[in-house]
Amino acid sequence: MAKRIVKLTFPQKLVKEPLTFQMAKKYNILPNIRRAKVTETVGELVLELEGQEQDLDKGIEFLKKAGVIVESIVGDILE
Amino acid sequence: MSYVNGLKCRECGREYPKDVLFVCEYCFGSLEVDYDYAKIKKSLTKESLKDRPKTMWRYAELLPIDKEPTVGLFSGFTPLLKANNLARVLGVRELYIKDDSVNHPTLSFKDRVVSVAISKAREFGFDTVACASTGNLANSVSSQAASCGLRAFIFIPADLEAGKVVASQIYNPNLIGIEGNYDEVNRLCSEIASKYRWAFVNINIRPYYAEGSKSMGYEIAEQLDWKLPRHIVVPSAGGSLITKLWKSFKELEKLGFVDKVNTKVYCAQGQGCAPIVTAIKEKSDVIRPVKPKTIAKSLAIGNPADGYYAVDTVRKSKGWAEEATDEEIVEAIKLLAKTEGIFTETAGGVTLAAAKKLIEQKVIPEDESIVVCITGNGLKTQEVVTKSLPKLTKIKPNLASFEEHIKNGDRQKIAENKVIEYYI
Repeated sequence: MAKRIVKLTFPQKLVKEPLTFQMAKKYNILPNIRRAKVTETVGELVLELEGQEQDLDKGIEFLKKAGVIVESIVGDILE
Repeated sequence: MSYVNGLKCRECGREYPKDVLFVCEYCFGSLEVDYDYAKIKKSLTKESLKDRPKTMWRYAELLPIDKEPTVGLFSGFTPLLKANNLARVLGVRELYIKDDSVNHPTLSFKDRVVSVAISKAREFGFDTVACASTGNLANSVSSQAASCGLRAFIFIPADLEAGKVVASQIYNPNLIGIEGNYDEVNRLCSEIASKYRWAFVNINIRPYYAEGSKSMGYEIAEQLDWKLPRHIVVPSAGGSLITKLWKSFKELEKLGFVDKVNTKVYCAQGQGCAPIVTAIKEKSDVIRPVKPKTIAKSLAIGNPADGYYAVDTVRKSKGWAEEATDEEIVEAIKLLAKTEGIFTETAGGVTLAAAKKLIEQKVIPEDESIVVCITGNGLKTQEVVTKSLPKLTKIKPNLASFEEHIKNGDRQKIAENKVIEYYI
Protein backbone atom coordinates (compact mmCIF):
# COMPACT_ATOMS: atom_id res chain seq x y z
CA MET A 1 0.00 0.00 0.00
CA ALA A 2 1.18 3.50 -0.81
CA LYS A 3 0.30 6.88 0.65
CA ARG A 4 -0.05 10.28 -0.99
CA ILE A 5 -0.71 13.61 0.72
CA VAL A 6 -2.67 15.95 -1.50
CA LYS A 7 -4.58 19.21 -1.44
CA LEU A 8 -7.81 19.22 -3.42
CA THR A 9 -9.36 22.48 -4.53
CA PHE A 10 -12.97 22.27 -5.67
CA PRO A 11 -14.28 25.11 -7.82
CA GLN A 12 -17.67 26.42 -6.76
CA LYS A 13 -19.66 24.29 -9.20
CA LEU A 14 -18.13 21.09 -7.81
CA VAL A 15 -18.40 21.83 -4.10
CA LYS A 16 -21.69 19.92 -3.79
CA GLU A 17 -20.50 16.85 -5.76
CA PRO A 18 -19.45 13.80 -3.71
CA LEU A 19 -16.30 13.37 -5.78
CA THR A 20 -13.97 12.30 -2.96
CA PHE A 21 -16.36 9.49 -2.01
CA GLN A 22 -16.77 8.40 -5.63
CA MET A 23 -13.00 8.32 -6.11
CA ALA A 24 -12.50 6.34 -2.90
CA LYS A 25 -15.15 3.78 -3.79
CA LYS A 26 -14.23 3.38 -7.44
CA TYR A 27 -10.49 2.92 -6.89
CA ASN A 28 -10.51 1.36 -3.43
CA ILE A 29 -8.71 4.29 -1.83
CA LEU A 30 -8.83 5.17 1.84
CA PRO A 31 -9.07 8.96 2.24
CA ASN A 32 -8.11 10.45 5.60
CA ILE A 33 -9.20 14.10 5.83
CA ARG A 34 -6.86 16.34 7.84
CA ARG A 35 -8.01 19.81 6.98
CA ALA A 36 -10.97 21.31 5.15
CA LYS A 37 -12.26 24.76 4.30
CA VAL A 38 -15.30 25.76 2.31
CA THR A 39 -15.91 29.40 1.42
CA GLU A 40 -18.46 31.07 -0.83
CA THR A 41 -16.37 30.45 -3.90
CA VAL A 42 -14.23 27.41 -3.25
CA GLY A 43 -13.75 24.19 -1.30
CA GLU A 44 -10.34 23.07 -0.05
CA LEU A 45 -9.51 19.64 1.30
CA VAL A 46 -6.15 18.42 2.60
CA LEU A 47 -6.05 14.66 2.88
CA GLU A 48 -3.96 11.55 2.94
CA LEU A 49 -4.84 8.91 0.36
CA GLU A 50 -3.91 5.28 0.94
CA GLY A 51 -4.17 2.54 -1.66
CA GLN A 52 -2.33 0.64 -4.38
CA GLU A 53 0.08 2.86 -6.31
CA GLN A 54 -1.79 2.40 -9.62
CA ASP A 55 -5.15 3.03 -7.97
CA LEU A 56 -3.87 6.26 -6.44
CA ASP A 57 -2.75 7.45 -9.87
CA LYS A 58 -6.13 6.54 -11.35
CA GLY A 59 -8.06 8.13 -8.49
CA ILE A 60 -6.13 11.40 -8.77
CA GLU A 61 -6.64 11.39 -12.54
CA PHE A 62 -10.39 10.87 -11.95
CA LEU A 63 -10.51 13.97 -9.72
CA LYS A 64 -8.50 16.04 -12.18
CA LYS A 65 -10.78 15.06 -15.05
CA ALA A 66 -13.79 16.08 -12.98
CA GLY A 67 -12.28 19.58 -12.62
CA VAL A 68 -10.70 19.36 -9.18
CA ILE A 69 -7.23 20.94 -8.78
CA VAL A 70 -4.96 18.32 -7.24
CA GLU A 71 -1.66 19.50 -5.77
CA SER A 72 1.12 17.93 -3.79
CA ILE A 73 1.00 19.32 -0.26
CA VAL A 74 4.57 20.66 -0.30
CA GLY A 75 4.08 22.64 -3.52
CA ASP A 76 6.75 22.72 -6.20
CA ILE A 77 10.17 21.71 -5.01
CA LEU A 78 12.17 22.97 -7.96
CA GLU A 79 13.31 26.51 -7.17
CA MET B 1 23.22 29.52 22.91
CA SER B 2 19.83 28.74 21.43
CA TYR B 3 16.96 31.17 21.12
CA VAL B 4 14.69 28.68 19.38
CA ASN B 5 11.81 27.09 21.27
CA GLY B 6 11.06 24.59 18.52
CA LEU B 7 8.90 24.32 15.44
CA LYS B 8 5.25 25.31 15.20
CA CYS B 9 2.57 24.46 12.63
CA ARG B 10 1.51 27.53 10.66
CA GLU B 11 -2.03 26.15 10.38
CA CYS B 12 -3.01 24.46 13.64
CA GLY B 13 -0.29 25.87 15.93
CA ARG B 14 0.83 22.43 17.14
CA GLU B 15 4.33 22.52 18.58
CA TYR B 16 7.23 20.26 17.63
CA PRO B 17 10.82 19.92 18.87
CA LYS B 18 13.58 21.43 16.71
CA ASP B 19 14.20 18.46 14.49
CA VAL B 20 14.32 17.52 10.82
CA LEU B 21 10.60 18.08 10.28
CA PHE B 22 8.75 20.23 7.80
CA VAL B 23 5.10 19.17 7.73
CA CYS B 24 2.66 18.94 10.65
CA GLU B 25 1.78 15.28 11.03
CA TYR B 26 -1.75 16.16 12.10
CA CYS B 27 -2.98 18.73 9.58
CA PHE B 28 -0.13 18.65 7.02
CA GLY B 29 0.40 22.38 7.45
CA SER B 30 3.96 23.67 7.02
CA LEU B 31 6.16 24.15 10.08
CA GLU B 32 7.86 27.36 11.12
CA VAL B 33 10.61 28.16 13.64
CA ASP B 34 9.32 29.51 16.95
CA TYR B 35 11.66 31.80 18.95
CA ASP B 36 11.99 32.88 22.56
CA TYR B 37 11.68 36.62 21.97
CA ALA B 38 11.96 37.56 25.66
CA LYS B 39 15.39 35.95 25.75
CA ILE B 40 16.38 37.52 22.42
CA LYS B 41 15.43 40.98 23.69
CA LYS B 42 18.00 40.70 26.45
CA SER B 43 20.83 39.81 24.11
CA LEU B 44 20.09 41.60 20.83
CA THR B 45 20.11 45.38 21.22
CA LYS B 46 21.09 48.29 19.00
CA GLU B 47 24.10 48.75 21.27
CA SER B 48 25.18 45.12 20.95
CA LEU B 49 25.09 45.37 17.15
CA LYS B 50 27.82 48.01 17.09
CA ASP B 51 30.64 45.51 17.55
CA ARG B 52 29.29 42.75 15.35
CA PRO B 53 30.53 41.76 11.89
CA LYS B 54 28.85 43.33 8.86
CA THR B 55 27.28 40.06 7.71
CA MET B 56 23.85 38.48 8.14
CA TRP B 57 25.15 36.77 11.28
CA ARG B 58 25.03 40.03 13.25
CA TYR B 59 21.37 39.06 13.85
CA ALA B 60 22.29 35.51 14.96
CA GLU B 61 19.71 35.43 17.76
CA LEU B 62 16.95 35.70 15.14
CA LEU B 63 18.34 32.90 12.98
CA PRO B 64 17.59 29.26 13.82
CA ILE B 65 21.02 27.83 14.49
CA ASP B 66 22.19 26.84 17.97
CA LYS B 67 25.95 27.01 17.47
CA GLU B 68 28.26 29.34 15.56
CA PRO B 69 27.60 29.34 11.77
CA THR B 70 29.99 27.09 9.87
CA VAL B 71 29.37 28.23 6.28
CA GLY B 72 28.45 31.48 4.58
CA LEU B 73 30.41 33.49 7.11
CA PHE B 74 30.48 36.48 4.77
CA SER B 75 26.92 36.25 3.47
CA GLY B 76 24.56 39.18 3.77
CA PHE B 77 24.91 42.84 4.71
CA THR B 78 24.77 43.70 1.04
CA PRO B 79 24.53 47.38 0.03
CA LEU B 80 21.32 49.35 0.34
CA LEU B 81 21.95 52.19 -2.04
CA LYS B 82 19.96 55.35 -2.55
CA ALA B 83 19.13 55.17 -6.25
CA ASN B 84 18.88 58.85 -7.12
CA ASN B 85 19.38 58.46 -10.88
CA LEU B 86 16.74 55.76 -11.15
CA ALA B 87 14.44 57.76 -8.85
CA ARG B 88 14.56 60.70 -11.27
CA VAL B 89 13.70 58.49 -14.21
CA LEU B 90 10.79 56.93 -12.34
CA GLY B 91 9.65 60.27 -10.93
CA VAL B 92 9.88 59.37 -7.24
CA ARG B 93 11.57 61.09 -4.33
CA GLU B 94 13.16 58.38 -2.19
CA LEU B 95 14.16 55.11 -3.82
CA TYR B 96 16.55 52.45 -2.52
CA ILE B 97 17.98 49.31 -4.08
CA LYS B 98 18.74 46.38 -1.78
CA ASP B 99 21.50 44.82 -3.84
CA ASP B 100 21.82 41.08 -3.24
CA SER B 101 23.37 40.71 -6.69
CA VAL B 102 26.68 41.03 -4.83
CA ASN B 103 25.91 38.58 -2.03
CA HIS B 104 28.72 36.24 -0.99
CA PRO B 105 29.66 33.64 -2.14
CA THR B 106 27.45 33.07 -5.22
CA LEU B 107 25.89 36.45 -6.03
CA SER B 108 22.27 35.91 -5.10
CA PHE B 109 19.96 36.18 -2.10
CA LYS B 110 20.00 32.36 -1.92
CA ASP B 111 23.34 32.61 -0.12
CA ARG B 112 21.39 33.80 2.93
CA VAL B 113 19.07 30.81 3.13
CA VAL B 114 21.70 28.24 2.19
CA SER B 115 24.13 29.58 4.83
CA VAL B 116 21.50 28.89 7.47
CA ALA B 117 20.37 25.57 5.97
CA ILE B 118 23.84 24.05 5.70
CA SER B 119 24.97 25.34 9.10
CA LYS B 120 21.81 23.74 10.52
CA ALA B 121 22.31 20.52 8.55
CA ARG B 122 25.77 20.22 10.09
CA GLU B 123 24.32 20.73 13.57
CA PHE B 124 21.96 17.84 12.83
CA GLY B 125 24.96 15.74 11.79
CA PHE B 126 24.16 15.27 8.10
CA ASP B 127 27.04 14.36 5.80
CA THR B 128 25.10 15.01 2.58
CA VAL B 129 23.14 18.04 1.45
CA ALA B 130 20.84 18.24 -1.56
CA CYS B 131 18.50 20.54 -3.40
CA ALA B 132 16.26 20.70 -6.45
CA SER B 133 16.91 23.88 -8.34
CA THR B 134 16.94 25.73 -11.63
CA GLY B 135 19.86 28.00 -10.84
CA ASN B 136 20.75 30.23 -7.91
CA LEU B 137 19.94 27.70 -5.22
CA ALA B 138 21.99 25.03 -7.03
CA ASN B 139 24.94 27.43 -7.26
CA SER B 140 24.82 28.33 -3.58
CA VAL B 141 24.39 24.79 -2.24
CA SER B 142 27.19 23.52 -4.52
CA SER B 143 29.55 26.27 -3.37
CA GLN B 144 28.80 26.18 0.33
CA ALA B 145 28.84 22.37 0.54
CA ALA B 146 32.26 22.44 -1.12
CA SER B 147 33.48 25.02 1.39
CA CYS B 148 32.79 22.71 4.32
CA GLY B 149 33.49 19.36 2.69
CA LEU B 150 29.95 18.00 2.61
CA ARG B 151 28.76 15.69 -0.13
CA ALA B 152 26.19 17.45 -2.33
CA PHE B 153 23.50 16.15 -4.67
CA ILE B 154 22.09 18.85 -6.91
CA PHE B 155 19.06 18.05 -9.06
CA ILE B 156 18.38 20.25 -12.05
CA PRO B 157 16.23 19.94 -15.18
CA ALA B 158 18.37 18.32 -17.91
CA ASP B 159 17.77 21.16 -20.38
CA LEU B 160 19.05 23.98 -18.15
CA GLU B 161 21.17 26.74 -19.75
CA ALA B 162 24.89 26.03 -19.95
CA GLY B 163 25.86 29.04 -17.81
CA LYS B 164 23.85 27.85 -14.85
CA VAL B 165 25.20 24.33 -15.13
CA VAL B 166 28.80 25.60 -15.11
CA ALA B 167 28.16 27.82 -12.06
CA SER B 168 27.24 24.69 -10.08
CA GLN B 169 29.49 22.11 -11.76
CA ILE B 170 32.65 24.08 -10.98
CA TYR B 171 32.27 23.20 -7.27
CA ASN B 172 32.25 19.50 -8.15
CA PRO B 173 28.95 18.38 -6.61
CA ASN B 174 26.96 15.35 -7.77
CA LEU B 175 25.07 17.37 -10.36
CA ILE B 176 22.20 15.42 -11.88
CA GLY B 177 20.13 16.56 -14.83
CA ILE B 178 16.66 15.05 -14.78
CA GLU B 179 15.08 14.23 -18.12
CA GLY B 180 11.47 15.10 -17.63
CA ASN B 181 8.97 17.89 -17.48
CA TYR B 182 8.64 20.25 -14.57
CA ASP B 183 6.08 18.14 -12.70
CA GLU B 184 8.12 14.97 -13.10
CA VAL B 185 11.24 16.64 -11.72
CA ASN B 186 9.27 17.83 -8.69
CA ARG B 187 7.74 14.43 -8.11
CA LEU B 188 11.09 12.62 -8.33
CA CYS B 189 12.83 15.04 -5.94
CA SER B 190 10.02 14.63 -3.45
CA GLU B 191 10.45 10.84 -3.59
CA ILE B 192 14.25 11.04 -3.26
CA ALA B 193 13.89 13.39 -0.29
CA SER B 194 11.61 10.98 1.53
CA LYS B 195 13.80 7.93 0.86
CA TYR B 196 17.36 9.15 1.51
CA ARG B 197 18.54 10.60 4.80
CA TRP B 198 20.00 13.74 3.28
CA ALA B 199 19.53 17.36 4.21
CA PHE B 200 17.40 18.57 1.31
CA VAL B 201 17.71 22.29 1.99
CA ASN B 202 14.40 23.23 0.38
CA ILE B 203 12.43 20.19 1.54
CA ASN B 204 13.17 18.66 4.94
CA ILE B 205 15.35 21.56 6.16
CA ARG B 206 12.93 24.14 4.75
CA PRO B 207 11.67 25.61 8.04
CA TYR B 208 15.26 26.56 8.98
CA TYR B 209 16.37 27.42 5.44
CA ALA B 210 13.52 29.88 4.90
CA GLU B 211 14.41 31.83 8.06
CA GLY B 212 17.66 32.97 6.41
CA SER B 213 15.61 35.32 4.21
CA LYS B 214 14.71 37.41 7.25
CA SER B 215 18.25 38.77 7.42
CA MET B 216 17.48 40.88 4.34
CA GLY B 217 14.69 42.63 6.24
CA TYR B 218 16.82 43.30 9.34
CA GLU B 219 19.53 44.78 7.15
CA ILE B 220 17.14 47.08 5.30
CA ALA B 221 15.81 48.38 8.62
CA GLU B 222 19.26 48.92 10.09
CA GLN B 223 20.62 50.52 6.91
CA LEU B 224 17.69 52.97 7.01
CA ASP B 225 18.64 53.80 10.60
CA TRP B 226 15.85 51.67 12.03
CA LYS B 227 13.12 53.23 9.94
CA LEU B 228 11.18 50.86 7.74
CA PRO B 229 10.39 51.92 4.18
CA ARG B 230 6.77 52.81 3.37
CA HIS B 231 6.85 50.53 0.32
CA ILE B 232 8.88 47.45 -0.56
CA VAL B 233 8.76 45.59 -3.86
CA VAL B 234 9.77 41.93 -3.64
CA PRO B 235 10.10 39.20 -6.29
CA SER B 236 8.17 35.99 -5.64
CA ALA B 237 8.77 32.42 -6.74
CA GLY B 238 7.71 30.05 -3.95
CA GLY B 239 6.48 33.04 -1.93
CA SER B 240 8.84 32.53 0.99
CA LEU B 241 10.97 35.71 0.77
CA ILE B 242 8.02 38.11 0.87
CA THR B 243 6.55 36.27 3.87
CA LYS B 244 9.85 36.25 5.74
CA LEU B 245 10.59 39.93 5.05
CA TRP B 246 7.28 40.75 6.67
CA LYS B 247 8.11 38.45 9.57
CA SER B 248 11.46 40.20 10.01
CA PHE B 249 9.77 43.61 10.21
CA LYS B 250 7.21 42.35 12.73
CA GLU B 251 9.99 40.82 14.83
CA LEU B 252 11.88 44.13 14.87
CA GLU B 253 8.65 45.82 15.98
CA LYS B 254 8.21 43.24 18.73
CA LEU B 255 11.79 43.74 19.92
CA GLY B 256 11.41 47.53 19.93
CA PHE B 257 13.93 48.23 17.17
CA VAL B 258 11.37 49.99 14.94
CA ASP B 259 8.01 51.71 15.42
CA LYS B 260 4.80 50.00 14.40
CA VAL B 261 5.23 48.38 10.98
CA ASN B 262 3.65 50.63 8.38
CA THR B 263 5.19 49.14 5.25
CA LYS B 264 3.17 48.10 2.23
CA VAL B 265 4.54 44.97 0.60
CA TYR B 266 4.25 44.43 -3.17
CA CYS B 267 4.71 41.11 -4.94
CA ALA B 268 6.42 40.97 -8.35
CA GLN B 269 6.27 38.02 -10.77
CA GLY B 270 6.88 37.35 -14.46
CA GLN B 271 3.75 37.42 -16.59
CA GLY B 272 4.09 33.80 -17.72
CA CYS B 273 4.26 32.55 -14.13
CA ALA B 274 2.28 34.79 -11.80
CA PRO B 275 0.01 32.60 -9.66
CA ILE B 276 0.51 34.78 -6.55
CA VAL B 277 -0.03 38.08 -8.40
CA THR B 278 -3.18 36.65 -10.00
CA ALA B 279 -4.61 35.57 -6.63
CA ILE B 280 -3.92 39.03 -5.16
CA LYS B 281 -5.46 40.86 -8.09
CA GLU B 282 -8.49 38.59 -8.17
CA LYS B 283 -8.81 38.92 -4.38
CA SER B 284 -8.88 35.12 -4.19
CA ASP B 285 -7.67 32.80 -1.43
CA VAL B 286 -6.82 30.11 -3.92
CA ILE B 287 -3.52 29.89 -5.75
CA ARG B 288 -4.19 28.33 -9.15
CA PRO B 289 -1.06 26.43 -10.28
CA VAL B 290 0.27 27.40 -13.72
CA LYS B 291 2.73 25.99 -16.25
CA PRO B 292 5.60 28.50 -16.12
CA LYS B 293 6.43 30.42 -19.29
CA THR B 294 8.68 33.40 -18.57
CA ILE B 295 12.32 34.35 -19.14
CA ALA B 296 12.55 34.88 -15.36
CA LYS B 297 13.38 31.24 -14.74
CA SER B 298 14.55 31.78 -11.18
CA LEU B 299 10.98 32.85 -10.37
CA ALA B 300 9.28 30.14 -12.44
CA ILE B 301 7.47 28.18 -9.74
CA GLY B 302 4.01 27.29 -10.98
CA ASN B 303 2.68 25.90 -7.71
CA PRO B 304 4.25 28.07 -4.99
CA ALA B 305 4.57 26.30 -1.64
CA ASP B 306 4.12 29.54 0.33
CA GLY B 307 1.75 31.14 -2.16
CA TYR B 308 -1.13 31.39 0.28
CA TYR B 309 1.09 33.02 2.92
CA ALA B 310 2.51 35.45 0.36
CA VAL B 311 -1.01 36.56 -0.60
CA ASP B 312 -1.89 36.89 3.07
CA THR B 313 1.22 39.02 3.74
CA VAL B 314 0.49 41.41 0.88
CA ARG B 315 -3.10 41.76 2.05
CA LYS B 316 -2.19 42.34 5.69
CA SER B 317 0.27 45.04 4.69
CA LYS B 318 -2.30 46.67 2.36
CA GLY B 319 0.12 46.22 -0.53
CA TRP B 320 -0.56 45.04 -4.05
CA ALA B 321 1.04 43.05 -6.87
CA GLU B 322 2.17 43.43 -10.45
CA GLU B 323 3.56 41.24 -13.20
CA ALA B 324 6.13 41.97 -15.92
CA THR B 325 6.25 40.78 -19.52
CA ASP B 326 9.50 39.40 -20.96
CA GLU B 327 10.10 42.69 -22.82
CA GLU B 328 9.50 44.74 -19.68
CA ILE B 329 11.93 42.50 -17.77
CA VAL B 330 14.73 43.11 -20.31
CA GLU B 331 14.03 46.87 -20.40
CA ALA B 332 14.15 47.04 -16.60
CA ILE B 333 17.46 45.14 -16.44
CA LYS B 334 18.91 47.68 -18.88
CA LEU B 335 17.38 50.63 -17.02
CA LEU B 336 18.95 49.58 -13.71
CA ALA B 337 22.31 49.08 -15.40
CA LYS B 338 22.16 52.45 -17.20
CA THR B 339 21.06 54.49 -14.22
CA GLU B 340 22.69 52.83 -11.22
CA GLY B 341 25.47 50.68 -12.67
CA ILE B 342 23.96 47.45 -11.36
CA PHE B 343 23.62 44.41 -13.60
CA THR B 344 20.82 42.23 -12.28
CA GLU B 345 19.39 38.94 -13.49
CA THR B 346 15.87 38.44 -14.80
CA ALA B 347 14.33 38.27 -11.31
CA GLY B 348 15.68 41.76 -10.63
CA GLY B 349 14.25 42.88 -13.95
CA VAL B 350 10.85 41.55 -12.88
CA THR B 351 10.99 43.44 -9.59
CA LEU B 352 12.05 46.76 -11.08
CA ALA B 353 9.56 46.45 -13.96
CA ALA B 354 6.77 45.75 -11.48
CA ALA B 355 7.87 48.67 -9.30
CA LYS B 356 7.87 50.96 -12.34
CA LYS B 357 4.33 49.91 -13.27
CA LEU B 358 3.06 50.34 -9.71
CA ILE B 359 4.56 53.84 -9.62
CA GLU B 360 3.05 54.70 -13.02
CA GLN B 361 -0.33 53.46 -11.81
CA LYS B 362 0.06 55.69 -8.70
CA VAL B 363 -0.40 52.59 -6.54
CA ILE B 364 2.98 53.52 -5.06
CA PRO B 365 2.99 57.29 -4.45
CA GLU B 366 5.93 59.40 -5.67
CA ASP B 367 6.73 61.08 -2.37
CA GLU B 368 7.26 58.13 0.00
CA SER B 369 10.23 55.83 0.61
CA ILE B 370 10.47 52.76 -1.63
CA VAL B 371 12.83 49.77 -1.48
CA VAL B 372 13.25 47.51 -4.51
CA CYS B 373 14.79 44.12 -3.69
CA ILE B 374 17.32 42.96 -6.27
CA THR B 375 18.00 39.30 -5.61
CA GLY B 376 20.43 38.07 -8.26
CA ASN B 377 23.29 38.92 -10.61
CA GLY B 378 22.98 39.59 -14.33
CA LEU B 379 26.16 37.72 -15.22
CA LYS B 380 24.17 34.50 -14.68
CA THR B 381 21.47 35.26 -17.27
CA GLN B 382 23.38 37.20 -19.91
CA GLU B 383 21.62 35.44 -22.78
CA VAL B 384 18.34 37.30 -22.17
CA VAL B 385 19.84 40.73 -22.83
CA THR B 386 22.48 39.88 -25.44
CA LYS B 387 20.13 40.30 -28.39
CA SER B 388 18.95 43.74 -27.35
CA LEU B 389 22.42 45.22 -26.89
CA PRO B 390 24.41 47.02 -29.62
CA LYS B 391 27.04 45.04 -31.46
CA LEU B 392 30.67 45.54 -30.49
CA THR B 393 32.31 48.42 -32.35
CA LYS B 394 35.49 47.29 -34.10
CA ILE B 395 38.16 49.63 -35.47
CA LYS B 396 41.66 49.33 -36.94
CA PRO B 397 44.51 49.81 -34.45
CA ASN B 398 45.29 53.41 -35.47
CA LEU B 399 44.16 56.88 -34.42
CA ALA B 400 42.64 57.76 -37.78
CA SER B 401 40.34 54.77 -37.60
CA PHE B 402 39.22 55.78 -34.11
CA GLU B 403 38.57 59.35 -35.12
CA GLU B 404 36.66 58.23 -38.16
CA HIS B 405 34.54 56.12 -35.83
CA ILE B 406 33.68 58.86 -33.37
CA LYS B 407 32.93 61.23 -36.21
CA ASN B 408 30.34 58.88 -37.68
CA GLY B 409 29.38 56.04 -35.43
CA ASP B 410 29.33 57.61 -31.99
CA ARG B 411 26.83 60.40 -32.56
CA GLN B 412 23.91 58.30 -31.47
CA LYS B 413 25.60 57.45 -28.22
CA ILE B 414 26.28 61.09 -27.44
CA ALA B 415 22.65 61.87 -28.06
CA GLU B 416 21.61 58.97 -25.84
CA ASN B 417 23.86 60.19 -23.06
CA LYS B 418 22.26 63.61 -23.28
CA VAL B 419 18.90 62.06 -22.59
CA ILE B 420 20.31 60.46 -19.49
CA GLU B 421 21.98 63.70 -18.41
CA TYR B 422 18.62 65.42 -18.73
CA TYR B 423 17.17 63.10 -16.14
CA ILE B 424 20.23 63.31 -13.93
